[in-house]
Amino acid sequence: MKHVFTFDPDRCCACSACMIACTDQNDINLKAGEKCFRKTYDTEVAFKEGGIYCAYLSTACMHCEDAPCIAACPVGCISKDADTGFTIYDNTNCVGCKSCAMACPFGAPRYNTEDGKMVKCDGCYIRIKNGMKPACVRACSFGALDCLTEEEYRNSGSDKACNVLIDQANLRKKEALGRWR
Amino acid sequence: MNKIAIIGFGAAGYCAAAEARKWDPDALIDVYTDAGRGPYNPMLTTYYVKGAIDYEAMFPFGSLDEIEERLGLCIHRNTAVTGLDAETKTICLPDGTKAAYDNILISTGASAFVPPIQGGDLPGVFKMRTAEDGVYLKKLLDGGKIRSGLVVGASWVGIKVVEDLVEQGVDCTLVDGADWAFSIAAFRQTAQRVHRDLEKKGIKLAFGQMLSHIEQEEDGRITAVMKNGRRFTADIIAICIGVRPNVAFLKDSGIAVNRGVLVDERMGTNLPGIYGAGDCCEAYEIQSGERKNIGLWFNARKQGEVAGANMAGKRKAFGGNALLNLAHYLDYDFISIGDVASCRDEDQVYEYEDDRYYIRAVRGEKLKCINMIGTGESNGVVKSLFIKYFENNQAEMDMASICHLKENGFPDSFIDFIGRDQH
Repeated sequence: MKHVFTFDPDRCCACSACMIACTDQNDINLKAGEKCFRKTYDTEVAFKEGGIYCAYLSTACMHCEDAPCIAACPVGCISKDADTGFTIYDNTNCVGCKSCAMACPFGAPRYNTEDGKMVKCDGCYIRIKNGMKPACVRACSFGALDCLTEEEYRNSGSDKACNVLIDQANLRKKEALGRWR
Repeated sequence: MNKIAIIGFGAAGYCAAAEARKWDPDALIDVYTDAGRGPYNPMLTTYYVKGAIDYEAMFPFGSLDEIEERLGLCIHRNTAVTGLDAETKTICLPDGTKAAYDNILISTGASAFVPPIQGGDLPGVFKMRTAEDGVYLKKLLDGGKIRSGLVVGASWVGIKVVEDLVEQGVDCTLVDGADWAFSIAAFRQTAQRVHRDLEKKGIKLAFGQMLSHIEQEEDGRITAVMKNGRRFTADIIAICIGVRPNVAFLKDSGIAVNRGVLVDERMGTNLPGIYGAGDCCEAYEIQSGERKNIGLWFNARKQGEVAGANMAGKRKAFGGNALLNLAHYLDYDFISIGDVASCRDEDQVYEYEDDRYYIRAVRGEKLKCINMIGTGESNGVVKSLFIKYFENNQAEMDMASICHLKENGFPDSFIDFIGRDQH
C-alpha cells in the first residue's frame, strides 16, 4: 500500500533524534565521512529589514510521485517500490556521476567518498513491509514526522505530506520571507 | 487499431514505447533501429572503458529481446529507415518497401561528428559515442601498449576520455579550437580554474587549436596537425568535438528541421501525427523561448514519455528545457546552469571562492547563467531555484532551500544574489 511521509514544522525543534535513528538504521559510518540520509536544520535566517526567523526542519528524500532522479540516472539505479511508492535504489551500477543530485530539488542524494556511489533515504521500505514505522518517525518524540498509508493520510485531513510541504511553506511564509537577506 | 512507428531506439524511443503501451494496450508498435542491440546510454561508454560498469550496464533497459517481450513490440533490427512521407505518414525501408502508420516518432538520436579530414580514418583515431566506441577504446587501453593519447575537443565527452586515459596512466594532451575548456558553458574565469586543476593532474592543455588533418608517423604513432601548423603526436587520438542530430533521412519529407527536428510542447512536429523526441530534436528552451537541441539523457527520457503518451491519445506536455551542463571527472564537479552566451558586459556579476567552491553567476533583469565548481550534492537545489526564478521573477525562496544552501557552505551573498527581491 502506498505510503506518505508527513512533516509538521510547528512540532519540530531540530532535536536530531530522527538523524540519530536514521544513522543507526542505515549503519551510516560518520567517522568514515558518510552522511546521514536525513538532515535537520536549526538555522537562523536574517531578514533584510531586521529580525530573524529560526527555522527548525527535518528533511530527507521527499519520495516525489514523479521523482525526477529516476529518469536522470543514466544506469537506472533508482526506481519506485511498487508497494510503498517510495523511491528506492540499487547502486550496484552507480557511476557516481551525480546526475540524480542535479535532478533533485531537495538535495536528497548523498555520495560516499569511499566508493563514489550515491546513497539516499529509501523510506525504510523494508521496515514498512514488516509492519514498522520508518526509523526517523519512530524516534521523533514530538510527532513532527509521521508515515501514513495513503488512506490514513486522506482520512486524517492533514495537509502536511512531505512532497507538498515545500509549496505550503512557501505560501505560508511568503510575506515574512519577502525580503530575507 | 492505433498503428505506431518508432524510428530510432535510444532512451527517447524506449520511453515512448513504454508510455504508449501503458496507455494503449492494443496499439501495434513497430520499432525500427539501425542497431542489433538494445538502447544504450552514450554517456556510459567512458565508464565502461575504465571498468566502473560491465558491458551490459550500458544498456539500462535490457536487451532487444527482453524489451520486445516486456512491452509487446515488434522490433525491426538493423533496419535504418531511409525516408519519410509525412503527408501519408509512410516510412520507407531499406528494401524499398513502405509502411503506413497513424503515429510516427522520430527518435533517431545524434552521432559524434568527425569532420571529413585527411587521416580521420587512420587506425588509432576514434570518436566516443556508441557502445562500440567504448569497446574499441577499452580494448586498446587494456592491451597495455598505449603510452600517449591526444583528445581533440574539451567537451563533456572529451573530458571523460581524458579521465579514462589518465586513470590508465596514459600521458594525455587535451586540445580545443576555443580559447578555453567547456567554452559553450563556462565563463573564462571558471575555465581558468578547470585548467589549473587539469594541469595539476599532469594533463597538457592547448587552446585555440583548430584541427587540420592527421598524419601517420613512421614509428606507428599518429600526429594531429593544427591549422596553425602546431603538431601533436600520440599513440591514439580521440575526436570529441561535438554531435549532430541524425536527421539526414528527413530531407524532402516536409518535416520542419533546423539543426534537429522542431517540436512543440507535446513533441509534435509541424505535421500532425508525427512526433520527435530526444537528441535528434529541438524543443522549447525556457530562457530564450526558442527551440534548442539539448542532448541530455533526462530530456530524452521525458520527451519520449510525452511523445508516447500523445501518440496513445493522451495529452501530455514537456516542461521545457534549460541549458544544463554537468561534468564530473577526476573527482572534480563542474556545472553550468543557463546560457553563458546570453551574458553581457553590463550585467551584474557575482563571484565567490573558498577552499571548497567556486561560484560565478550573472544576472540582467533575470538570472542568466551560474557556473559552480565543487557543489555536486547541491546542484539540484540551485538548478531548481534558477528555473523557479526564471519562470517567476516574483517567486520567493522556500525555507528548506535556504537552510540547505546555508548549511552546505553557500554564503548568504549568493543566496541573496539568486533569490533577492529584484522588483
